[in-house]
Amino acid sequence: MAQITLIEGVTMALAWEMEHDDRVIVLGEDVGVNGGVFRATAGLQQRFGPERVMDTPLAESMIAGMSIGMASQGMRPVCEIQFMGFIYPTVDQMINHAGRLRNRTRGRMHVPMVLRAPFGGGIHAPEHHSESTEAIFAHMPGVRVVIPSSPRRAYGLLLAAIRDPDPVVFLEPKRIYRLQKQEVVDNGEALPLDTCYILREGEDVTIVTWGAMTFETLKAAAELEKEGIDAEVIDLATISPMDLDTILESVEKTGRLVIVHEAAKNCGVGAEVAAGVAEKGIWDLKAPIVRVTGYDTVMPLFKLEYEYLPSVARIIDGVKKTFED
Amino acid sequence: MSVKTFNLPDLGEGLPEAEIVNWLVAEGDMVNVDQPMLSVETAKAVVEVPAPYTGRIAKIHAPDGTILPTHSPLVDIDTDAGTTEAATSSAEASGASSAAAETAETPDTADEAREDSGTVVGKMMTSNDVLHDADIAGRGRRRAGGKVKAAPAVRALAKELGVNLEDCRPTGRHDRVVADDVRAAAASTAPATPRQAPKVKLPPGEPERLRGPRRAMAQSMSAARDLVSQCTIFDDADIHHWVPGQDITARLLRAIAVACRAEPALNGFFDGENMSRQLESRVDIAIAVDTPEGLIVPVIRDVGQKSPQELRADLNAIKTATRERSVKPEDMRDFTFTLSNFGMMAGRYATPVVVPPTIAILGAGGLRHDVVAVMGGIETHRRIPLSLTFDHRCATGGEACRFLAAAITDLQKHE
Repeated sequence: MAQITLIEGVTMALAWEMEHDDRVIVLGEDVGVNGGVFRATAGLQQRFGPERVMDTPLAESMIAGMSIGMASQGMRPVCEIQFMGFIYPTVDQMINHAGRLRNRTRGRMHVPMVLRAPFGGGIHAPEHHSESTEAIFAHMPGVRVVIPSSPRRAYGLLLAAIRDPDPVVFLEPKRIYRLQKQEVVDNGEALPLDTCYILREGEDVTIVTWGAMTFETLKAAAELEKEGIDAEVIDLATISPMDLDTILESVEKTGRLVIVHEAAKNCGVGAEVAAGVAEKGIWDLKAPIVRVTGYDTVMPLFKLEYEYLPSVARIIDGVKKTFED
Repeated sequence: MSVKTFNLPDLGEGLPEAEIVNWLVAEGDMVNVDQPMLSVETAKAVVEVPAPYTGRIAKIHAPDGTILPTHSPLVDIDTDAGTTEAATSSAEASGASSAAAETAETPDTADEAREDSGTVVGKMMTSNDVLHDADIAGRGRRRAGGKVKAAPAVRALAKELGVNLEDCRPTGRHDRVVADDVRAAAASTAPATPRQAPKVKLPPGEPERLRGPRRAMAQSMSAARDLVSQCTIFDDADIHHWVPGQDITARLLRAIAVACRAEPALNGFFDGENMSRQLESRVDIAIAVDTPEGLIVPVIRDVGQKSPQELRADLNAIKTATRERSVKPEDMRDFTFTLSNFGMMAGRYATPVVVPPTIAILGAGGLRHDVVAVMGGIETHRRIPLSLTFDHRCATGGEACRFLAAAITDLQKHE
């Protein structure tokens, strides 16, 4: 059993599913010969041939549209967008077709496609390469948004996303692509979608986060433990539809909620988590909900990148706010 | 001959080194600007590095397989070696070639084509750290309960009223604690202890700190106020029939002793906390004496067994001791009854204060001539106004009245 990185988990899941399901094809810019901008599809074209691992022109709308077409006709396309900054041409395809084809055809067609893209900051990339705009896709009815935060969940959730009968936007936190390793069994077992993952159990405060911020949040939880604050860390994992029940259950126990995300605060997914708990879990809250997020500005370039991203210290401060009287 | 040295550019952001995979050209070959010269592998991808100038490859500094630090010499190119045509294109390409050399430093100018070639932007963090997390797929919602459910406003109210939410009986929907539950809990847990004395703040000045008898008076009167259920009865003793030369204070002492025999319920001690009283047969009377330092209460022992002369001797001794300030503490303790003979200056009736643990106190006001109705007419008689305060917790009004009646009867005796 190998210790692998998150991105190797992605590659492993793609290879397993291509091996076991002929309908699965991979397409995108430089996914074939080059093996992908981050090497996510490395070796797949050599193994499965250029007909199943296709290099496309630089035309993201076409990549998404082609995938919708193939998916509606029974294939299982997994397309890659190189960076979140280039994903916006696909928004038209995803909101106007992918998310509503099942409804439009009264269930005669559905769109089992996966749109993969690395997202988030922290790798000192130029403009357009560092945003976390998952909220745009979370707002689309009929489209699932899934974000893994560990090698094991990258493998298991990508398999589940490919097998899901409806479109999934699978956003990969590129900052932690190679940051940590984990043993992952390559047995084709998917993990459940539409559920949170509890990364750390605790009694005093619930911290909900996802993607690369799980790294800082778990560190913050370890620091808080030294000060006697026992934090429960929940990885949202499926951003939409959200598993509010697990969060409510945790808040019922802890009475405190902190939400950590990298995206700008305004209309971020954290607002939806907070609203859900306010609607159904307000009876349990001992303190106002706190959000620790990026700022409502354009994501800065590399010198200021780590000023923008929530730090361990900012998360700890946010948690302590919920203990102020 | 113009030989230019081309250094290995930074192919990512801040990559320290790259590995030469293989050269596509050899020393002596002619290259055109932008023609791929070699493949280089970075942390992320294999990249083809194009020729920055048109010319002849003069020297290759790093053969295949070399791991070369960024900005180290990579290749020398003789730019004079081209044809006239090549020289022209070289001149045209000079802008492009310098751009190529600066690919990584000015990524904003990079187009997507360069990304397509795998010139990955950015810098990946890598490590061999192993990730451990609990990785529990969501639990769903256990409606186990156990925790108090209350709206934020109700929690704020509980905090304000000092009520523990756990102590509230929830009456809201779904077992929620509502504001009325908090108020009900606040009312039921209202402290049964004596109410807190309101904070007193003196106006600016120089307060004098109480000491000695005045301080003791403040303390004993506070205790009396907090502990004793005071009740006062007023009446008068008509001493019209007294023979001249009576010692008034000695008569008062004797009257008390007589009354104590007639009605023993007022002579002794009461302990309200343990609900027990201790009545005494011996009568030890404390006499309140006003001094500049405050009230002192020396005791005359066993009043019932003393003649008027002995009582007078004791009273004189007290007067002297008080003046000399030589009253000993033990002479002011363990009395069973108190006499306050306050009428020397002014005052007719009063509500003297019982000092716990004793049960009663008799106050005698100023002796005066009153107009009294007698059978068949009006006369003026000398009378002593009396005020008897007793602790109604342990003595009844009837007992007090009988006591006072006995005292008056004795006082009015024709002697």
